[in-house]
Amino acid sequence: MSLQSSILGLRRDPRLLKVPPYLSALCIIVGVVWLFLLPLNEYSRSTYVSENALLPGQVHTYFGGSEHNIFRAYRHEVAGLADKSIEERNQKLLEIFKSAGLKVATQKYEYQSAGKTTGGENVYAILQGPRADATEAIALVAAWTTMNGEINHSGVALVLTLARYFKRWSLWSKDLIFIISSDSTAGTQAWVDAYHNAHDPSHVESLPLKSGALQGALAIEYPAGPWGHRFDKIHIVYDGINGQLPNLDLINTAVSVSSQQIGISTCLQRMWKHGDSYEERLQTMLRGMINQGLGHASGPHSSFIPYHIDAITLQTVGDGWHDEMSLGRVVESLFRSLNNLLEHLHQSFFFYLLMQSNRFVSIGTYLPSAMLIAVNFTITSIGLWIKSGRPEKPATKIASTDSKPDSKPDMTIIKQNGMTALVPTATFSVVERRMFLPLAFVGAAHFLGILPLYLFNHAPANTLLPTFQTFAASSLALPLLTAFALSRFRPPTTQETVLIQCFSLLFLGLFLSALATLNFSLSLLIGLLAAPLTFIRRPSPSTTQSQPSSSAMRVLLSVAGLLLLAVLSPSGVVFAATKYWNTPLVDVLLRASFGWQVHGLWTQVVVWLVWWPAWFCGTVVMALGLF
Amino acid sequence: MAVDKQRALLFGGAAALRLLLFIAFPSLPDFLTGRVEISTPVTSFKRLQEGLFLYTRDVSPYDGGIFHQAPLLLPLFSFLPDPSTYPFATNLLYTVIDLLSANALLQIADTGISVSNLRFTSSRKELRWSSILIAATFLFNPFTVLTCIARPTSVFTNSAVFYAVAKAAAGFHISALISLAVASYLSLYPILLLPPLLLLAQDGLSRRKAQPVNTSSFVMNSVTTFSVACFSLLGISYLITDSSWEFISSTYGVQLLLPDLTPNVGLWWYFFIEMFDSFREFFLGVFWLHMASYMGGLTFRIHKQPLFAIICLLGIFAIFQPYPSIADTSLYLALLPLYRHVFPLMRYTFFAFATLLYASFLGPAFYYLWIYAGSGNANFFYAITLVWSLGLSVIVADSLYAVLRDEWEVERPEMKGKEVRQI
Repeated sequence: MSLQSSILGLRRDPRLLKVPPYLSALCIIVGVVWLFLLPLNEYSRSTYVSENALLPGQVHTYFGGSEHNIFRAYRHEVAGLADKSIEERNQKLLEIFKSAGLKVATQKYEYQSAGKTTGGENVYAILQGPRADATEAIALVAAWTTMNGEINHSGVALVLTLARYFKRWSLWSKDLIFIISSDSTAGTQAWVDAYHNAHDPSHVESLPLKSGALQGALAIEYPAGPWGHRFDKIHIVYDGINGQLPNLDLINTAVSVSSQQIGISTCLQRMWKHGDSYEERLQTMLRGMINQGLGHASGPHSSFIPYHIDAITLQTVGDGWHDEMSLGRVVESLFRSLNNLLEHLHQSFFFYLLMQSNRFVSIGTYLPSAMLIAVNFTITSIGLWIKSGRPEKPATKIASTDSKPDSKPDMTIIKQNGMTALVPTATFSVVERRMFLPLAFVGAAHFLGILPLYLFNHAPANTLLPTFQTFAASSLALPLLTAFALSRFRPPTTQETVLIQCFSLLFLGLFLSALATLNFSLSLLIGLLAAPLTFIRRPSPSTTQSQPSSSAMRVLLSVAGLLLLAVLSPSGVVFAATKYWNTPLVDVLLRASFGWQVHGLWTQVVVWLVWWPAWFCGTVVMALGLF
Repeated sequence: MAVDKQRALLFGGAAALRLLLFIAFPSLPDFLTGRVEISTPVTSFKRLQEGLFLYTRDVSPYDGGIFHQAPLLLPLFSFLPDPSTYPFATNLLYTVIDLLSANALLQIADTGISVSNLRFTSSRKELRWSSILIAATFLFNPFTVLTCIARPTSVFTNSAVFYAVAKAAAGFHISALISLAVASYLSLYPILLLPPLLLLAQDGLSRRKAQPVNTSSFVMNSVTTFSVACFSLLGISYLITDSSWEFISSTYGVQLLLPDLTPNVGLWWYFFIEMFDSFREFFLGVFWLHMASYMGGLTFRIHKQPLFAIICLLGIFAIFQPYPSIADTSLYLALLPLYRHVFPLMRYTFFAFATLLYASFLGPAFYYLWIYAGSGNANFFYAITLVWSLGLSVIVADSLYAVLRDEWEVERPEMKGKEVRQI
């Protein structure tokens, strides 16, 4: 009983209000440390195949022998098509598919983004499974050009050879679809959209020929020219649009077929050498998180994933002794495994971070780190809410009532009534919160985010860079101007400033925790970049000590805080990231705009409608200290 | 005059916002109509279209088991042009319904019955929001706007409930009870509002006539009116559905027996999916009894403030109905600001509203993971509906606490501001 009353007493303790920032800091630190613990053996697990039906590597592969001659012939045919027009090229590919006895069709598409047109024509062929009833299908994709812009000579030739080879088997219990898309990302997107009737017929042709629900898709990138090239490893690319991932079982099957059955080692996330050390695991994981966070199309497989079709791309890397026949056998074995499936892949994980081709952490283990970082904003927000309800100290109270001549008199009377009649002690009372200005301000900031979102997704390519520069400059100046205008025309009280920050952080924490369930990495990255917003406060205009030194101190604090926030502004971070990775800024902007128009990329929505408004509110609060 | 100007501005703004959303985003209404948070099996606009299609082709609208809404909606909507080709008339109808609801809310606020009636006057009665502000919180509440754009038929129920309360507060008990009969006819659950509404109407009538009303004759009178109104609505329905009582089992039967387990924001669907069939009837009884049992208790306990009993019940219905949606929440949240004067006594407002905000963002995210991405499952969404219900029940309980405390402080003025503990 006494314990209970002492806890209740503690509830009113003013010292309690000092706790939230420390609690928030603790959350961030624990979240980050948590992330760095993940690569350790104790926290990550070895991968395993959950779906019993897959039986990876349990079948003999027969691709080889005379098929090699056919492959070489097709590769020369493909090489001969390299400088032909797209119509001639596709005519030839159609003939080859037809000669294998498959049903064929083409599909034209044309996308507009940033004032540029990206177009092409996909060719595809359907092998009706001898034991299938056309309700399910698996896709094998080779884009004409790889992600790096090379011509996918051997990849296309391998798909043609495999189509002919698979036609002879009687065991397919699903239809097989072979797709030669015109380019790596837009072509497959057009094809998948049309396959599900989700396309815009004015830009993308409908598919004349269809099969059943796609159960899985596999893309091959093998750009070796007409004379071949022996490779060392298979690089598995698995990131989908908006950070969605394929079922882990598909990756596990690919890894186990490739490394255990055929004997080709695999690698992930451009980690060509992986010695299984802590640093390398961490690096793989972080690269995976950045790719997931950006949410861009990382290969021909990416477009399939939003339609709940598990898909990966196999890329050949390095100089070694594996030839195209080994890659063909990997594909054959993988297809035999997928052919065994009785239902859609669902057993294994959809949310995971891979740190090596056979090591992962699942959502239950890693989610707390992003959630802790999102929660830190909510904790501070609750703290600020309570603080905004506490009466201000008398000195500042007088100052603040003096500085707002336009406040309605009737409200003040009520407040004072409340103070005198309601409250025996000052700590017990809850002051009326004036929420209109803070709510309107935070709401307006979020609406303002639509402007950059629209600008960057619709500006033509040649104006993108100037637009970005103008926007970056004005978004740095805007908080200062807003703070100046506010303090000139409607000086916000301390309570209102606190409430602005409170609501802004509440929304930020809210969005980030919802986002963490959809795209963990993006939520974590933005959470970390926005973390300083938790700790900034309006440098207080202390009227009790009117010494010049304290006012100079205040200006100094504000300027330092503003500089930090300027560096961590969305445009500042984009700029710094492009410098760090040495990519031209225009490319990033173009790809983002292309992703928005073609793939339905949502990363920029998060940046401009979640992060930027929070940054803007925080910066205005900081800048208010200047005036 | 200034008030009229403000009102015109408010209504104009709200109508403009709705029509702008309808016109600027033509695919938005159909998208929202498909959202399970807004459209339930008993209110969905899509299902109404199905019923309408059958009705206009002289087939019983209840054939096929898709349509579960009241029959009188059919002739109303069959007068409107087809919403897939000429959506404007339908959009305008829904906008007007929202404005009418807001108008009724304005009338309730203008009577000031929430702070002072014959039996009770709050000591905090100066602390009020203006009627315009209260109507604005309804009209610009995102839940209301989303509901309007998604066009579920629950907006008609909401409007009828608003009018019932407005008329009762103004002392026109006959129109109040007819309004309530319409609401009950459309959605069944408003029938549980009858007892507190009678109290409110009696209070309103006494104030209007400036003399006490004979209770027993008033109750007799009112209950007769209510029953006559209900039965005549049912009778007309019987006539327009080709003299068949089939609609009773397809509308109220569905509400009572829950045959359609489409997910929604409520607590029933998941529970009854998991339920063994042999226990189904028992738990249906328990769930309905639980929801109905609040009626007696709350009416009795807060009989001094019958308006608050109605509001509290609406909050409870928004949580525990068989097919709740955010339309019911918007009705509750619209009436709550009438009790602005007890807000300082509420203890968990920020927590509860933050919970609701979290749930309204996480809900669609988890639904997406479950239905579209295929990487989540039903438990994700159900967990969030639990959080949503938790947030709402905290608001209901907290506001109830605040009102009781306010009543208590009138009885014991010396206890004002003292700390109390609930036992």
